[in-house]
Amino acid sequence: MLLAAFGFTPGPGYRGLYRTTLEQLATEQSRLVGKMARAGVGSGAGRDSFKHEIATARLKLKAADFWLRYFEPNAYRRINGPLPVEWETEVFEKFEKPYRREGAGLTLAELALDDSTVTRDSLLALVRASMLAAKVFEADSITRQLAKPDHFFLANRLFLLNLGAIYTTGFECPAPERVIPELRSMLVGTRDIYAAFARDFPATPLSAAYLERYGAAIAFVQAQPDDYAAFDHFAFIRDYVNPLFAMNQTMILGYAVASHSVNDFTLNDSCASMFDKGLYNAQNTKGVYSLIEDARTLTQIRETGRLLFYDPLMSGNNQRACVSCHKPVQYFSDRAVPTPEAFEHAGRLKRNAPSLVDAPFNHLLMLDGRHLTLQAQAHDVMTNPAELGSVEQVLVEKVMSCKDYRSAFRSFLKWIPEEPKVTLDHLISAITFYYGGFSYYPAAFDDAINGKATLAPEAHRGFNLFMSKAQCATCHFVPQFNGVKPPYVGSEFEVLGVPADTLYTRLDPDSGRAVVNPALETVHAFRTGSLRNIAHTGPYMHNGVFRTLDQVIEFYDAGGGTGHHLNVPNQTLAADSLHLTVGEKSDLLAFLRSLDERVPVEAPPAKLPRSSRAELNHRKIGGEY
Amino acid sequence: MTAKRGIPVGWLAAAAGALLLFAGCAAQRKLEFPVSPDITPGNRALMIERYDKGKILFRANCSGCHGIFAAGKDSVPNFSKEQIDNYNANFVKGDQRNHAVARKLSQQQIDYILTFLGLHSAAHNTPRKPAL
Repeated sequence: MLLAAFGFTPGPGYRGLYRTTLEQLATEQSRLVGKMARAGVGSGAGRDSFKHEIATARLKLKAADFWLRYFEPNAYRRINGPLPVEWETEVFEKFEKPYRREGAGLTLAELALDDSTVTRDSLLALVRASMLAAKVFEADSITRQLAKPDHFFLANRLFLLNLGAIYTTGFECPAPERVIPELRSMLVGTRDIYAAFARDFPATPLSAAYLERYGAAIAFVQAQPDDYAAFDHFAFIRDYVNPLFAMNQTMILGYAVASHSVNDFTLNDSCASMFDKGLYNAQNTKGVYSLIEDARTLTQIRETGRLLFYDPLMSGNNQRACVSCHKPVQYFSDRAVPTPEAFEHAGRLKRNAPSLVDAPFNHLLMLDGRHLTLQAQAHDVMTNPAELGSVEQVLVEKVMSCKDYRSAFRSFLKWIPEEPKVTLDHLISAITFYYGGFSYYPAAFDDAINGKATLAPEAHRGFNLFMSKAQCATCHFVPQFNGVKPPYVGSEFEVLGVPADTLYTRLDPDSGRAVVNPALETVHAFRTGSLRNIAHTGPYMHNGVFRTLDQVIEFYDAGGGTGHHLNVPNQTLAADSLHLTVGEKSDLLAFLRSLDERVPVEAPPAKLPRSSRAELNHRKIGGEY
Repeated sequence: MTAKRGIPVGWLAAAAGALLLFAGCAAQRKLEFPVSPDITPGNRALMIERYDKGKILFRANCSGCHGIFAAGKDSVPNFSKEQIDNYNANFVKGDQRNHAVARKLSQQQIDYILTFLGLHSAAHNTPRKPAL
């Protein structure tokens, strides 16, 4: 009867392995539920035995991880998600409100066992929810994908990206001592999946070179210590994960693999390294000019965007420009002030001006994630009375009163027949195209992990700490080092407990994400920023409270706001100390400095276009404040 | 027509667009789709603008394969009402059957096209080829 429900033919093989792997997970889950239903959770010995059972169930899950995470990520999160509550933001795409998703599964059950007030019923509910979620993977819509080879290479790509980003970091694994043992078990389990696939799909095999390198990866991990802080994360990615990723990409192209899954839309099939900036098709920098490919026209659009970026016509008082707060010589950030001055000198803004370098690799924009696109973000800043203070129509008229701008934007119109006239969207698209171009330069770290250079030993040690003991990589995910994790379809938000001042007298009052999406969990939550170029983009945190990276590392080392005795009931950062030594902190800094990208610096324009309105021709390049 | 704009998409399309939009400026323009009387004048104008942009984008980038103006290829499906309602911009990009052109379009351009298709299908009850 079970076989009929699955729609499988009996016998071994690829689909048979899928079925038995799921069955083994279901067996472990029901054993766990049975045991919990019979026994109390009060005694210490009882708790330990449940933890042991959960560990066994987790290993069964890891054997199926390869498929489950790719086929239905939301159901996967109910089997083993790390968060008690998540706010789904992807619905923003359809202009709906975000919705709340209750977490469930093995990780949360394990964490709940450490909470002395937890009841048996609530524990049971978490595990039962994970059983129900696992049933999702029996659906026809999922199992029929197993009949074709396409899903295999795409699931494998996600698996490899996660090997680089999360599987060695303790993300979704509450016990650090089990991270590497679980990794070993998963690598071996996935080799069985590879073998079954090879038998059933001989026309589209994994290459011999791939299988050989994969075998070497297993041998490498078997020889590494159990302690994830002593594990060589850097060598694992450089020598195994990333080369395997490159070979899998070659197979995706070579076998003309077709995706029907939203898990793949952000990923570029033709890039050969996880650390290639082209991997992740994130924000569209071209806006209304998206379909233009003519190189000469694109150069003109970029040049026009550059002029506008320096032009104070963008502001209501003709005294401020984009560069006022995003200085190209400072990685498009503002190093001088914690938060910029407001329009007409009316006090200060609430938040730090972020670097625009790598801004296109965010899923949501602004520190509270209120915008979906770079263009919407720019529109907001220009028309915000506290920032550039412009009125849309007035701004467009001022720009179009300059002959050079007018003729440029009109000449672009002939490439976009759907756009009848020049609007603010066109100006903004030129600007985003200009500054977006600075996000595609590599750092020394990228060269080293791509095997093209060596990394200084202290930076190498720093990266290994970053991935383990310092707990950085569970939020700043490899390779973007911001809050997007594979397959890069959402931005993550965290509540850190950032203080209003360096004496930690009080919590910063900015409620962050709650402004956009009011909920208990989102109060004081901010979008996780990128660590690329971080040594050059201070002051740090949403309010620019810390001037140096040493202060930032001290903040995290002591457990964020809660660790500094502030009352932050919904803090998402662990409140206990990381116990980093002086040497470890200095290694971490060395690693962070290796993320400096070779972003070119261009001289500002020598002059701005002349307007037919004389009063506008006194404006200064880059504005006055 | 391909999506490559190595050369301008064509003065013909631009001229057609200009004509259409000139018509859009006229107060008494006859609409190609039904608009509920509950819709405010501002939103009505936005709908018209997006429909017009979507129509031009669709003609230039999609209608070579997806028939809707009596063109199209036999092996490529037209869109069902349900598909249009359920698609969001990222889904369109994610489905690689939509090949390169959908990935190049901006989110907003895809929204224009979906607005056009939605309003167009509301106005036309012509039988369609079944969707894949």
